[in-house]
Amino acid sequence: MKISLNWLSDYIEFDDLSTEEIAEIITKAGLEVDEIIDNKKVYKNFVVGFVKETKKHPNADKLTVCVVNDGTEDFTVVCGAPNVQTGQKIAFAKVGAIIPNGQFEIKKAKIRGEVSTGMICSESELGISDNHEGILVLDSSLKEGTDLAKALGLDNVTFEIDLTPNRADALSHIGIARDLAASLNRPFKLPELNLQEINEESSVYAKVSIEDEEGCPRYIGKVVRNVTVKESPEWLKKKLTSIGLRPINNIVDVTNYVLHEIGQPLHAFDLDLLEGNEIVVRQAGDQKKFVTLDSKERELVTTDLMICDGNKPVAFAGIMGGENSEVTSNTKNILIESAYFNPSRIRKTAKRIGLSTDASYRFERGTDIEITIWAARRAAQLIGEIADGKVCKGELDVYPKKYQPKIVGLRFDRLNKIMGFTIEKKKVTDIIKNLGIKVTSETEEKLTAEIPAFRPDIEREIDLIEEVARINGYDNVPEIDDIKVVLEKNVDQSKYVDNLRDKLVGLGFNEIITNSLLNNERNIPFGKPISLMNPQSKEMSHLRTSLMPGALQTISNNLKVREQNLSLFEIGHTFENIGKNEVKSFDDISEKEMLLMIMTGKFNEDEWYAKSTDVSIFNLKGTVEELLHKLEVLPSVKIEYGKEVKGLKNTLVYSYKNVDICKIGQVEENLLKEYDIEQDVFAAEINIDELKKIEIKEKVFTQLLKYPKVIRDCAFVLDNKINNFEVEKTIKESSSKLLKNIKLFDIFESDSLGEGKKSLAFQLEYYDSSRTLTEEEVEKDFWNAIETVKRKLNAQLRGG
Amino acid sequence: MHTRIKELENQFNSELAEVTNLKSLEELRIKYLGRKGSITALFDEFKELPKEEKPKYGQVLNRLKNSTQNSFNEKKSLLNEKEKSQKDFIDLSLPGIKTNLGTKHILTQTLDQMKSIFKVLGFSVYEGPELESDYYNFEALNFPDDHPARDMQDTFFVNKDFLLRTHTSPVQIRLMQNKKPPLRAIMPGKVFRNEAISAKSYCLFHQLEGLVVDTDVTFAELKATVIHFVKEFFGEDIKYRFRPSFFPFTEPSAEVDIWWQPKGKEGRWLEIMGCGMVDPNVLENCGIDSEKYTGYAFGMGVERTAMRKYGIDDIRTYFDNDKRFLIQF
Repeated sequence: MKISLNWLSDYIEFDDLSTEEIAEIITKAGLEVDEIIDNKKVYKNFVVGFVKETKKHPNADKLTVCVVNDGTEDFTVVCGAPNVQTGQKIAFAKVGAIIPNGQFEIKKAKIRGEVSTGMICSESELGISDNHEGILVLDSSLKEGTDLAKALGLDNVTFEIDLTPNRADALSHIGIARDLAASLNRPFKLPELNLQEINEESSVYAKVSIEDEEGCPRYIGKVVRNVTVKESPEWLKKKLTSIGLRPINNIVDVTNYVLHEIGQPLHAFDLDLLEGNEIVVRQAGDQKKFVTLDSKERELVTTDLMICDGNKPVAFAGIMGGENSEVTSNTKNILIESAYFNPSRIRKTAKRIGLSTDASYRFERGTDIEITIWAARRAAQLIGEIADGKVCKGELDVYPKKYQPKIVGLRFDRLNKIMGFTIEKKKVTDIIKNLGIKVTSETEEKLTAEIPAFRPDIEREIDLIEEVARINGYDNVPEIDDIKVVLEKNVDQSKYVDNLRDKLVGLGFNEIITNSLLNNERNIPFGKPISLMNPQSKEMSHLRTSLMPGALQTISNNLKVREQNLSLFEIGHTFENIGKNEVKSFDDISEKEMLLMIMTGKFNEDEWYAKSTDVSIFNLKGTVEELLHKLEVLPSVKIEYGKEVKGLKNTLVYSYKNVDICKIGQVEENLLKEYDIEQDVFAAEINIDELKKIEIKEKVFTQLLKYPKVIRDCAFVLDNKINNFEVEKTIKESSSKLLKNIKLFDIFESDSLGEGKKSLAFQLEYYDSSRTLTEEEVEKDFWNAIETVKRKLNAQLRGG
Repeated sequence: MHTRIKELENQFNSELAEVTNLKSLEELRIKYLGRKGSITALFDEFKELPKEEKPKYGQVLNRLKNSTQNSFNEKKSLLNEKEKSQKDFIDLSLPGIKTNLGTKHILTQTLDQMKSIFKVLGFSVYEGPELESDYYNFEALNFPDDHPARDMQDTFFVNKDFLLRTHTSPVQIRLMQNKKPPLRAIMPGKVFRNEAISAKSYCLFHQLEGLVVDTDVTFAELKATVIHFVKEFFGEDIKYRFRPSFFPFTEPSAEVDIWWQPKGKEGRWLEIMGCGMVDPNVLENCGIDSEKYTGYAFGMGVERTAMRKYGIDDIRTYFDNDKRFLIQF
């Protein structure tokens, strides 16, 4: 919201304060000044120019070469607007000016061979409106050379205030003035009404009724007759342009002026266009379509609150008027509407038709039902003054249930308990009063306040406490230097994954964080994916069911910048619908915390000490197993080889009590192709929620071995389809418990071994923690294992 | 003979001092101690001496032999070592054999830093689902249905009852409903906003919220805690301000700004945190007596905070996961 400092000074005096000081006071009262716009700076090097001469550009049909005088000097300016003419006063941007719309600087230039030193501007270029049809033609009475900002009424400072949605009362100059006054502890004044009325009642010319009292608790109509619709006087136009509004005509301008003065949205109807000279506030009913002021046809639903005449809707209540009753240059008699509408009704309709106006913005936050009468009179008075209108006596005021002020108490000790320090009682009372809230009684313990209608946000004691806190100032909250900490069990639900991350970093992996929203075609569904009702785009229409797409996209992005060797991990949530239909309860949602590890490219590059090697599934297998080992779960899990896993081949699946914990594999080529990845990628998906469930035995120290180990080597030649696991299992099963470790140390394949044969070499480690083993018992065990492998797996002992 | 012995010893020693390699040392040995060496020759002379003179010279000669032999041995081992080290030359300027530590994402690192500041102050850490219900995300947090306050947070909806959480506050509700005060906890996590993706905003970001509920928790304590955090995180000299604001779930509410002055640019206030006293409605919604207990809550975004701290100018950089970016931190 834009607030003009000049305008603000109509209601409160602050000549003694600098612009920055005022901005700070307002901000510290809770009305954040987002930006201070000093138009004198914005329109530096812009002046009123006089077009002395014009001639056609010799080399371009649509261009005009003008001679512009800035009061002292003549400049040649090439202008492209069709409406430029000799004798006009125009907005002239001199060399060095920075055009507000686009932020480019005017420099001396040659345009199609003609020198141009400056620019004649349109409203759009000046940033006053979006009108870019031709240049802005100024009032001919303006003197050339005048600062443009001054000529346009822009020679002031405006604040862009970022208001929080609770502060409906502050959506106007008077609203801001009220908070500023309370903060400064000085008075502010409402403009005095000085209404000249004719001796005819408004009710003679119009009638008002409300059918939907829930939607419209109050409606005031006031009639002004014989108006002359014309341009507004300068003072009014300047007020409006100073806050970025475009003057339209004196009637509309007055309604806009009063809106920004007091915050009450008004509407002016052409009374003669209202059938039956009547206003009925009701629901849309059967009416299906309605054309608003902006000439757009909009759909209605039955419950939309509409302002109607004797026959048809004439306005969307509180949002925008209709074309059918618009004030035009032919309008003679008008009806000013000043009403209060139910905030949520306005919000519903405005949201549905996708239209947010200055009026709807205020109504949906809650306006002041009591100020409606003042606003109607204020507008009538101004229209009487500047449109030569005859203001009819009285108002058509339909107000079935008068506003009952809420009574809210404030206990001083409660205030102090919440704030943590004492605010003097007198100060508390003063703050409340300065905010325009009536204090009806005061005791040692508490005060009781009557909340005015302009503060719909104050309903409870805590709301009053907040008012006192913010006006008293957060800077006045003492900075204490000790706090109380209760000694109790500390819970850390992120500890497990924090530990996982530490280990993964130690294993050389880089953490990534990818988007949880995906194009569903990219999603690798492990179940029914969940879609969004209002996605931003097709690319982000579904929740991920897997971390894989994000990781593959990351690889793809990195390959484009020649980062080919990657070891990445992500820890994040995946989502699927496990219900029968759409998500209706949390039971339908499976939200899992997952870990994805992914490796691709070279494990190491060519180095002076080693040749490069490509990453293989065994790099990932080794890493994952080291991770599981360090988490102490490796002995508890079961491994399955070659199980089917979506998107992966050559898989290893680790499970615990029949629940899959971890799936490792090579990403399938057709999946890689979708991401333009042309190198092998290996991935491991780990379900952290399930991983956490694995029971871990409490750690007990193992005595260090005091007796020697006996090591025996052997190598078998066997069918190359037999996997290592089989062999190790056979060795283990045929050995006594003296065998403690089996290590595969060589694999050899050669035709010399026979077709389809391979050799596996093992090192077997025997020991007993309580004694030294004898040669005989080891030999017996060792040979027993060899014979079993030979027999069961049809193997030969190599060199044996 | 005494004089000759003395001369010979001196001669040997000075020649030995000149020796710089094993080869000339061997030549020296042969010259003095070899079978035809000059010291060995003295022993031959000694054999010829009359019996009565033998004891006189025997001792001296033995001493000469021992001391020269010792000097020789010493020198030999010295030269041996020297030659060995020359033979085993290592080019220590060769690159070391590579090993890589990985990296945590800068957002994780930033969250970790934030968490650790609060953990020292006795805060527990709680987590919750990202796919939430309207009840936990809005209703229980005092967002009236159909109220403009809901516009403050553009929401991704799954349907009318379920949505992607727009803040980690639902975790606060779950905590308050499940545990009796005193409560002292932070809630880190991912949140989602339906905002167009640009350099300044992304459809998701990370938050860290905090909640304290007890019998005598005050606004002054909130301010002290928050400012302690700001100083710990941004440095003791950080310029900050604490100004009134509005959130449906806290009252009174505040926003914390820090003064930000990037190099060569104009300084300005930047919002880093929202906070306030937990609204009595929220406490009551969670079955906590709001007369007996008071509480405060705060929340901040991780992405923007890290952007400021490290000078990252485009929020999308975090989610591109370019390795060249990842390994910088």
